[in-house]
Amino acid sequence: MPQLHVENVTLTFGGLNALTDVSLTVPEGEIVSIIGPNGAGKTSLLNCVSGFYHPTRGQIRFGEHDLTHAAPNVITGYGVARAFQNLELFRGLSVTENLLLARHTHLRYGLLSSLLYYGRASRQEAQNRAYVEGIIDFMELEEHRAHPVGTLAYGIQKRVEVARALTLAPRLLLLDEPMAGMNVEEKEDMVRFILDIKREHGVTVVLIEHDLGVVMDISDRVYVLDFGQLIAAGTPAQVSADPRVIAAYTGAQELSA
Amino acid sequence: MPASRFTQTGNYRVRYTQDQTIFATYAEQLSLLLLIAALFALPLILPRAWFPYLTQIVIFSVAVIGLNVTTGYTGLINIGQGAFMGVGAYATALAATRLNLPFYLAIPLGGVAGALIGTLVGLPSLRLKYLYLAIATLAFQIIFEWGVGHAPLLEQGGVIKPPTPQAFGVKDSFLNHNVFWYLVSLPVLISLALLWRNVLRTRHGRAMIAVRDNDRAAAAMGIHPGRAKLTAFLIGSFYAGVAGGLFMYFQKGAVIEDYSLGLSVKLLAMAIVGGLGSLPGSFLGPLFIVGLDRGVELLSQSALLGRVTAFAEGVDVASALRPFSFGMAIVLFLMFEPRGLANWWRLTRLYFKRWPFKF
Repeated sequence: MPQLHVENVTLTFGGLNALTDVSLTVPEGEIVSIIGPNGAGKTSLLNCVSGFYHPTRGQIRFGEHDLTHAAPNVITGYGVARAFQNLELFRGLSVTENLLLARHTHLRYGLLSSLLYYGRASRQEAQNRAYVEGIIDFMELEEHRAHPVGTLAYGIQKRVEVARALTLAPRLLLLDEPMAGMNVEEKEDMVRFILDIKREHGVTVVLIEHDLGVVMDISDRVYVLDFGQLIAAGTPAQVSADPRVIAAYTGAQELSA
Repeated sequence: MPASRFTQTGNYRVRYTQDQTIFATYAEQLSLLLLIAALFALPLILPRAWFPYLTQIVIFSVAVIGLNVTTGYTGLINIGQGAFMGVGAYATALAATRLNLPFYLAIPLGGVAGALIGTLVGLPSLRLKYLYLAIATLAFQIIFEWGVGHAPLLEQGGVIKPPTPQAFGVKDSFLNHNVFWYLVSLPVLISLALLWRNVLRTRHGRAMIAVRDNDRAAAAMGIHPGRAKLTAFLIGSFYAGVAGGLFMYFQKGAVIEDYSLGLSVKLLAMAIVGGLGSLPGSFLGPLFIVGLDRGVELLSQSALLGRVTAFAEGVDVASALRPFSFGMAIVLFLMFEPRGLANWWRLTRLYFKRWPFKF
C-alpha cells in the first residue's frame, strides 16, 4: 500500500519551474531515494512534502491526509518527520533538550499544569525523558547528551539532526543529504542507522543523497530528478542502467536527445 | 545517597524525575529558602527610607520576568511592556474604585486585563518578525498613551486614586506604606518566578525557546509557532499587568506619566543589563538600574559634586546625570557583557561550587 503519494506536482517561483509534473509514490516500509544533479529540485520536493513550500499545481497525499496546503507543524503531526540538509538544530541547547523538543506533540498537558508542574506535566515529562534516552541510546549519542549542539563535530550534529527527526516517532522520515560532508566511516555509521531505523522502528524512509554507492546499496526504489523533471524510476539496478540517468550525471547531450 | 544530595560531588541521580528537579542539591534549596527568609526579614533590619527603592526593585522584577518571557525566551522584541503595565494599573484602579474590590482581587484582575490586551497586541507577531514586531509593540505604547489621555473614564490620564488598602487588620497607613507594599509584592514576585521556572522545564517553555532559536525547525518539530508566540505574550503581559497593579498602589494612584515609553525602555534596559533570557537576570537587572538611579541621586546631593563641577547652587544635577548614567550602563553592558549580570552570577556560583579548586 503506497503511503506517500505525489501527484503531478509543479512548483513555480516566478517564471522558473523548480518542479514540473512530478509524480511518485513511496510504499510503506521501504527506503526510497531521490537522486539527481545539484539544482534538480530534490530539496524543493521535500519542502513541498513537509509543508515549507506549497506546490503551484498537483497534490500530495500521505495515507488519508492531504498535505498539499497543510502547514509544516500540522504535517509533522501526521507523522512525517524531516531532517534538514543544512543543520537546523537549536544550537544553544543540549542534545537532550533538542530531542525533548521533538516530543512536543506527544505531550498532552495544558499551560496551567505546566505552570504548576504538577500531575500530568511532571508525570509525562518523566516518561518523555525516558523515551528520549531510548533514542539517544539507539543513535549512540550517550557521550554527547549534555553538550550544547553547537559545540559538537559536524558529523555528530548530522546524527543529532536524524535523531531529532526520529524522536518525533514518525511513520515517514525525510532525510535530506544526511551523509553530506562525512568521511567513509561516518557514512557507514549513518547507513547502519538508516537501515536500523527502517527495521527496528518500521519507519518508511525517503532519502536524498549524492553518494550513489550508498543509494544503490540500501534503496528499495530510486527516483531520478533533473531540472525539476522526473527522468527515471525503478530499482537501483534499473535506474543505474538507464541512459537518461547516465546522461544527466555525465552531461552527455547526445544521449538524452 | 543523602550526603551527595547536600553538596554536589558528582551525578548520583538514578531517576529522570531527579534530573528534572529545579534544585540539584539540598544546599541550593536551603540557600534559596534562607535568601527568601532574609528578604522577608529586611523590614526589621533596614531603615524605612530604603523601602521605596526595594519595593520598586521587586515590582519591576515582576515586569522584567514578563518581558524576558516575550523578548528573552521567545525572541519577540517588545517595546510595549510599560504600556502593558499601564493596562494592569488602570484595570486595577478601576476595579478598586468602581467595583470596590480589595487589592488582593483587584491586582490579579489587572493581570488578566494585561494578558487580554497583551495577547491582542501580540497578534501581529504571527506575521511580523524582529524589528517590525518591535515597531508594532511601540505603536501600542503610543496608542495606549494617547488613548488614556483622551478617555474621560480614566480621568484623561490624571490621577485615579484607589481607596487605602487594608489586609488582615494591618492598615496601609502613611508611615509604613512602602514596607507594606514591599511585603505584598515580594510573595507575588517569588510565586510568579517559580511558576515561570516551572514552565521552562515543560513543553510550553521549550516551544518558546525553539521559536526564538529557529522557527523553521520549531515548525518541523510540530510546534505551532504562532501559538507559542501568543502564549509568550499571554504570560509576559499577565506579569506586566500584575506589576502594573502593584505599582499603581505603590504610587498611590494611576497616572499616565508613570507608564510612558520611558518605562518600556527602562524595563528593556533592565532585561538587557540583567541578561536576556535569564531568570536570575530578571532580579539583578532591576536591582542594578534602580540602584544606579539612587546612586546618581545621592551623588548629585553630595557636596563633592558641587565643588568639582561649575554648576550653580540649586541646579538639579541628578535629572541630567540620570539619563546619562542609564545610557552609559546599557552601552557598556552591550559592549562588554552582552550576557548581562546573570553571567557574573553564574560564574560566581561556579566558583563557589568548585572551591577550593580552580576548575
